[in-house]
Amino acid sequence: MSRPRKDPRAARAAHLVAGGARPRFDLAALPAATGRPRRDPRAEERLALVPGTLRRRLDRAQRLATVPAAAPTLAAPVEAAPRHVVITEPAFLVALVPDAPGGRLSAHDRQLFGAARLLADEGGGAVLAFVEQPGEELGPAGADRVLALPVSGYDPETKALALNAALAALDLRHVLFPESAEGGDLARRLAALSGEPFFAGAESLSPKAVTRAARGRRVEQRRAPPRLLSLAPDAVAPHAGSLHEALPVEFAFPQPAGGAILSAQFIPADPAKVSLAEADFVVSAGNGVSDLEAFRALVTALGATPGASRMLCDAGLMPRSAQVGASGTVLDARVYVALGIAGAPQHLQGVTKCEQVIAVNTDLHAAMIERAGLAIVADAQKVMPALLALLQQERAS
Amino acid sequence: MKIAVLLSAGRHSVSGRPAPVPVELQALRLAVDLGAEVTGLHAGPELGPLNDALGHGLAHLIHLRGDGAADPVPALAAALAAGGYDLILAGRAGQGGEDSGLLPYTLARALGRPILADAAALGPGEAPGTLAIEQALARGARRRLVVRLPALVTVHPAAPPPLPFAFAGMRRGRVEIREVETREGLPAPAPEIEERAYRPRPKLIAKAAAGASALERLRAATEAASGGGRLLVDPAPEEAAREILAHLRVLGLRAGR
Ligand SMILES: Cc1cc2nc3c(=O)[nH]c(=O)nc-3n(C[C@H](O)[C@H](O)[C@H](O)COP(=O)(O)OP(=O)(O)OC[C@H]3O[C@@H](n4cnc5c(N)ncnc54)[C@H](O)[C@@H]3O)c2cc1C
Ligand SMILES: Nc1ncnc2c1ncn2[C@@H]1O[C@H](COP(=O)(O)O)[C@@H](O)[C@H]1O
Repeated sequence: MSRPRKDPRAARAAHLVAGGARPRFDLAALPAATGRPRRDPRAEERLALVPGTLRRRLDRAQRLATVPAAAPTLAAPVEAAPRHVVITEPAFLVALVPDAPGGRLSAHDRQLFGAARLLADEGGGAVLAFVEQPGEELGPAGADRVLALPVSGYDPETKALALNAALAALDLRHVLFPESAEGGDLARRLAALSGEPFFAGAESLSPKAVTRAARGRRVEQRRAPPRLLSLAPDAVAPHAGSLHEALPVEFAFPQPAGGAILSAQFIPADPAKVSLAEADFVVSAGNGVSDLEAFRALVTALGATPGASRMLCDAGLMPRSAQVGASGTVLDARVYVALGIAGAPQHLQGVTKCEQVIAVNTDLHAAMIERAGLAIVADAQKVMPALLALLQQERAS
Repeated sequence: MKIAVLLSAGRHSVSGRPAPVPVELQALRLAVDLGAEVTGLHAGPELGPLNDALGHGLAHLIHLRGDGAADPVPALAAALAAGGYDLILAGRAGQGGEDSGLLPYTLARALGRPILADAAALGPGEAPGTLAIEQALARGARRRLVVRLPALVTVHPAAPPPLPFAFAGMRRGRVEIREVETREGLPAPAPEIEERAYRPRPKLIAKAAAGASALERLRAATEAASGGGRLLVDPAPEEAAREILAHLRVLGLRAGR
């Protein structure tokens, strides 16, 4: 690294005060900006100071950039609202096919949008989402264009044929799928139909390279992103920061023909049998619940999977398989109801992935109350019978 | 009914030694439980530990012996078309090879058969010539499908475990070797794929920015994800119950059915 040498004469000349018979120098005046900001160690320290601690603590793991002390000339405008991005003339299209169970994007789908934006933003491309029901969450998720697929019911073959027609007609640089049961199935159907190279279960992704595990997770395969890709869960961060227009586009899909599937019927999981790790809705009890009969009745009435904190499992009141937390099961549930649970860190680790937590606790300052989206400071022994009564009432009417 | 089960050369998930792939043995069990005439098929240079499949209830195994580097699809497609099988079962994905799970799909296309993924249970359909499939979905849900045979079905690890190994069964089973001549000019594995030793990558952790302090990571893991939750202090039990049910309904969980 080289930087310009200091010329003392020129530096002194910069301080020259014009006018007057004798040359006068004002050395206290700020030097002319050289372009290199000076550091102000005191201001840096003020910023690194962690507020609200008894002892003075400095956090130098900088999230805050160094502050230019002299002449903060170009203060970048602060972006409060997310940026609206409109891509009118995309250089190419990156398509994705989210699962969107029930018309709502799952966490995996959002990560898929993140991956698609990563590939599209590199060269001025646009993201095209193939969905069954267009919704308004697609724009914030990162879709520039939206195409509705003409599919009804469970018919992956028709969906794959429609996608194949779009793949042949539109200039799609990549098509991304989630590596889930439905997305993975669809991706492989399309790969077999179109004969395009397919990369299954990408674990890392950039515009230059994708990687995946092979040979029983002993080998990592790496290549430039091919046309068809499926993305493993939790590999890429979801898209954030800009709003996209989600412009509906039209495409003439071929007429669907009847497939080999004669009938399809969805059977929801039996909450009593499904394992805690797989459950969608978990209701769990902690040390604050003494009336376990009411708890069990409530779990059955709500159609939830029962869980418990370690206190109850250690006491033998609930089976060990029901323990939620670091040394129990890490949940993947969408909704978690915690009755009389304090929220020790070991327990909270088990509910990190839950989107929504409802807590009932007598202690306003319990950590679980802080974590919850709906927190109720009340006695669980009184809330449970009230809930049961309300559910019974609803069923009767 | 005639059923073919596709068996691939796998590796044990822990030791890395050659071993049958568990999900294919589960497929074998589903086929045996249907009470059908079951044939195993493997395309590759050698059978190795696939003899074990005979001990898990297979009576007849066809080994299509050919070049290891060659694409197994043409050999398998020819043997399956000639065999006249009503149902072909394969694993969801191999373990020890490419492991992309693409082979059943290309095979189904080559044979012109419908393919259905992720069966956890099989049963005869009500009408003759149909099959009832219970498909495993995420979170323990299932989908019951009825399909017209012939079809190709891949099996999910949620299917019942393989039949126990019996040494006498392995001795009794019959292995038939068929030589497959490898044609010239086969598509070599894509040259742009680089391979190196696997390195596990850290999974995304919720919300905590990279380089955040330990305190922030703990906060991201433990505080309300949606921020600013609703707090009710000392409501009447009935009111609390109403609030909870209303909240559950908003979240799309139909409470009590
Ligand atoms: C290595 C290690 C691993 C651990 N792993 C786990 C784990 O995996 N899972 C786990 O759960 N724990 C685990 N623990 C234990 C954990 O630290 C806590 O001890 C435990 O989670 C506390 O359970 P609790 O909240 O049910 O009980 P408590 O801490 O006793 O809390 C009871 C709560 O109920 C409230 N309450 C009391 N009465 C009522 C009432 N009538 N109505 C409503 N609320 C009421 C109280 O205000 C309190 O907040 C682990 C600990 C260690 C050391
Ligand atoms: N060489 C092979 N011979 C027979 N069956 C195979 C072969 N390779 C793969 N299969 C089948 O195809 C499934 C998916 O394999 P893969 O596409 O390699 O993940 C496996 O579970 C097997 O049932």
